Amino acid sequence: MNITLKYFSWIRVKLKKSHDLIELKQNISFKELKNYLISKDPVFKEIFEDKSVKYFLNLSEIDDENQLINNGDILAFLPPVTGG
Amino acid sequence: MIKITNESFDLETEFKCVSSNTNGAYSFFLGTVRSDLSSSNKKIKGIYLECYEELALVQLKKIRSKALNNWKLNECLIIHRIGKLDLGEKIVLVITASSHRANAIKACEFVIDSLKIDVAFWKFHLLDNDQKEMVLQKSLDNEKMLKWKDIIN
Repeated sequence: MNITLKYFSWIRVKLKKSHDLIELKQNISFKELKNYLISKDPVFKEIFEDKSVKYFLNLSEIDDENQLINNGDILAFLPPVTGG
Repeated sequence: MIKITNESFDLETEFKCVSSNTNGAYSFFLGTVRSDLSSSNKKIKGIYLECYEELALVQLKKIRSKALNNWKLNECLIIHRIGKLDLGEKIVLVITASSHRANAIKACEFVIDSLKIDVAFWKFHLLDNDQKEMVLQKSLDNEKMLKWKDIIN
């Protein structure tokens, strides 16, 4: 299955890219995806340790680490916002 | 009406969009780019606004809907710029329209307070050396939002 990751603000700057397309063999939970990403790039450890970062799956905020991620899903990484 | 745009906007034109004989009061909030010092004490020459547009539109619709329902507004317009903006340029416009002034004023304040902490925009200062410096969220903005919790359902 394929999922899209979108990065914003300091996370985009830190990773030096605005998005990733990830190919996985099966559906996984958000928690499992976090571990997978940390194993690929240690920068993700810093991101996931920052409690101010919010995660939105298909435009809805994730409030359960066990939430399943499915083929075609879009997961966005959002640091605290500063509009207005 | 909600708009996210990299184009500037004209106040009179936008006012005509919400103007109606049923309204007796309008409240406006206009945010602009001010000459400021960055967190590293450098002069800024403008700002860059990043946005997750699909999400920001959903979030703005929710805020607008709450404002319309809680203060019985006749109309609520929100425009937010994105991209590169020079000093003095318009960033954000909120216009609320109601029969009487109290509702329009309160609703306008709620919309801009919410927008500051609940919508997917990120501001960067543009420095003289063409570098970008991230603007951090202010704790004051979060504190301001707390006062609305008892008012908004």
